[in-house]
Amino acid sequence: MFLKRILRSVPVIRDASLRSNDFSRNKQILSAKARTQCQYSTQITPKEEPSEVKPTEHEHNAKLSAEITKQLMQFFDEKDNWGAQRVRVGRAWKKEELRIKSSTDLHKLWYVLLKEKNMLFTMEHECKAEMRVLPNPDRIDKVLESMYNLEEVVRERNKAYHLLETGETGERPFKIVFNKLGLRSFYKLWEHIVPKELHEKWKNHIFSYSHNETKNFLKLYREKLWVKKRRSKLQERRYIFQLFKRFPNVDKEYLKELYPDQDIEKLRQSKLTASHLQQKAN
Amino acid sequence: MRLFPNLNSYRNYKRFVGELTKKYGNFPESFLRRRIRQIEFKTPRGFPQYQPRTIERQNFYFGQHRPWTDEFRNQNSISSKTRIIHVEPIRDWSFFKGDRVEILEGKDKGKQGIVNQVVQERNWVYVEGLNCKLKNENKTKKSLGIYYQDEQPLLVTRDVALVDPSDLQPVSVEWRYTEEGEKVRVSKRTGRIIPIPLQAEETLDYKTRGTYVENKEKDTGEDEVLTITYEPKLKTFEMEIMEAMGIVEDRIPKKTYWY
Amino acid sequence: MSTRWYPIYQKGNPQLRVFLPNFWMKLVKPNVDQPKNVVQFITSVQMTNHDIKNYLEKIYKIPVVKVDTSIVQGEFKKQPDKGYVIKDDDYKRALVTLPRGAEFEFPEIFSKEVKDKEDETLTKHRKELRKGYVEFTAKCKKRPGVPGWFGL
Repeated sequence: MFLKRILRSVPVIRDASLRSNDFSRNKQILSAKARTQCQYSTQITPKEEPSEVKPTEHEHNAKLSAEITKQLMQFFDEKDNWGAQRVRVGRAWKKEELRIKSSTDLHKLWYVLLKEKNMLFTMEHECKAEMRVLPNPDRIDKVLESMYNLEEVVRERNKAYHLLETGETGERPFKIVFNKLGLRSFYKLWEHIVPKELHEKWKNHIFSYSHNETKNFLKLYREKLWVKKRRSKLQERRYIFQLFKRFPNVDKEYLKELYPDQDIEKLRQSKLTASHLQQKAN
Repeated sequence: MRLFPNLNSYRNYKRFVGELTKKYGNFPESFLRRRIRQIEFKTPRGFPQYQPRTIERQNFYFGQHRPWTDEFRNQNSISSKTRIIHVEPIRDWSFFKGDRVEILEGKDKGKQGIVNQVVQERNWVYVEGLNCKLKNENKTKKSLGIYYQDEQPLLVTRDVALVDPSDLQPVSVEWRYTEEGEKVRVSKRTGRIIPIPLQAEETLDYKTRGTYVENKEKDTGEDEVLTITYEPKLKTFEMEIMEAMGIVEDRIPKKTYWY
Repeated sequence: MSTRWYPIYQKGNPQLRVFLPNFWMKLVKPNVDQPKNVVQFITSVQMTNHDIKNYLEKIYKIPVVKVDTSIVQGEFKKQPDKGYVIKDDDYKRALVTLPRGAEFEFPEIFSKEVKDKEDETLTKHRKELRKGYVEFTAKCKKRPGVPGWFGL
């Protein structure tokens, strides 16, 4: 079965480069106004043209607000689902299903999912304010999972391109370094305009630690870890004794798999595994 | 409760919440985990001034109630305490909803019935109408209240056995592979395959997979999902989208340094 | 690079474009009375005024005149039964002004009919509980030598 989720309309984000054009046009208008130095210059010029009937202000407003409410209602669920006990939906998109889709399809799907996410967040907020339960809150997790999977697929494709063209993954690089306390830590590199040699702050930076200063700390820290490990091992041992006591026919091979640190055969020989029930029977 | 059922770590969650439970709920993993955990406070993540710390409930009691229900939450309320419950580890689970089983112990010993509910976390099985306890509710001076039969759990390893469909006798079973590579249950005595019942497919969303009704507004159809539209090109995702939108970009990014 | 890393911009570089935005916005009831053409949102804290405007215009096709934002601090409160102080997350509140003459009314999601129906069942349940409680307290009334609250 393939029970997928996405939604009705398929929105496409408009050309991002339009932004710059809009900006330049506005600039021109502004400059024209500044030159004439007259605020109402545009109102003087229009000639009388009988062909078009201009809508009244009231009509114009009604049309505008109808359009805007239609768009804003995308932030809410369908009317049938308001106050519903349950909204049954399918599962999230899987990676293997997204891999066979073209980039433009993925791009469209992203915005569908984004709108759905916003809708669910709005409904959740409203339900909370009204002291009510959101029907099927697992829908949020399904959308988030789909979005995560989609992003991973896009990343895979880009990685493949970069590896082919440049020999690098194209991701943000990282390395494992020692911090001041002498512990290993995960360090994500940062992007800079100037090279390290010319950067005053970074020029003399070294990832290292002084052995003399951290010696004592590291000793105690390792001891703490070791004590923790030993304690959990002892707890495991005690638990296995109880298992043998209560279930004498327990699957030993499986226990060996579950607790690889323990010597199961040796534990089985211990006196502590003897059941008081068995003693009674004897 | 088993040893260290600290479900806060993902590893333990995977190990202690039963596979059949997850299947029956049919929830995304993150939701089920979110539902089980009782987080009192969590430091904001992704900021250098905070250590990654959460204050939450450590041990959980698993019983009859499914982990996503409110009853489960009430059972594991703040005031409730948990004790260690020992559960025998089983490698291959072989009891499913809808199976015919024979009861080997208790007051209904020797009777056969159909499995109603499976609680994998405790190795429990509920059999329909068998091994019941008489219970009373809402009893007052004026009225007798309601009496009803309440099914009690049965331990899988000790109290029940699967029934061989050929001679209707209890048998122990084994998992084997057929020549087609399918994994099946086989009765050890007669060597007959014991098929897994259709009821085992049941989830909260549908009884069987075939009977699921698609949500026409929210679900994508099967055909639409399976159509292949991907064409491999020597381009990144961004380059393809820009081409489709007609955005032309000739400027070359200047060199940056990573350290 | 398709990670969430936003590259630094230098003069002459290609325009920075976001193809898969992961910002979220939710439409909420205004906490204070607003003019009819003003809509209130709660958004991701990282969003700027410019982002909000672009987001609404490009994705939702809603004309926007002006955006006002403020970061609201999360509430400090005591953890019940424990006593230590906990804090809710901060959030960004955005007041978006639509063009003059446009009107938007926040829809009534839980109508009166639905509410009444639910209230009926609730009151029924409450009555039963109350009845049970009265019967229970009647049992505990005659207890010599014990204060009145003892049975509760």
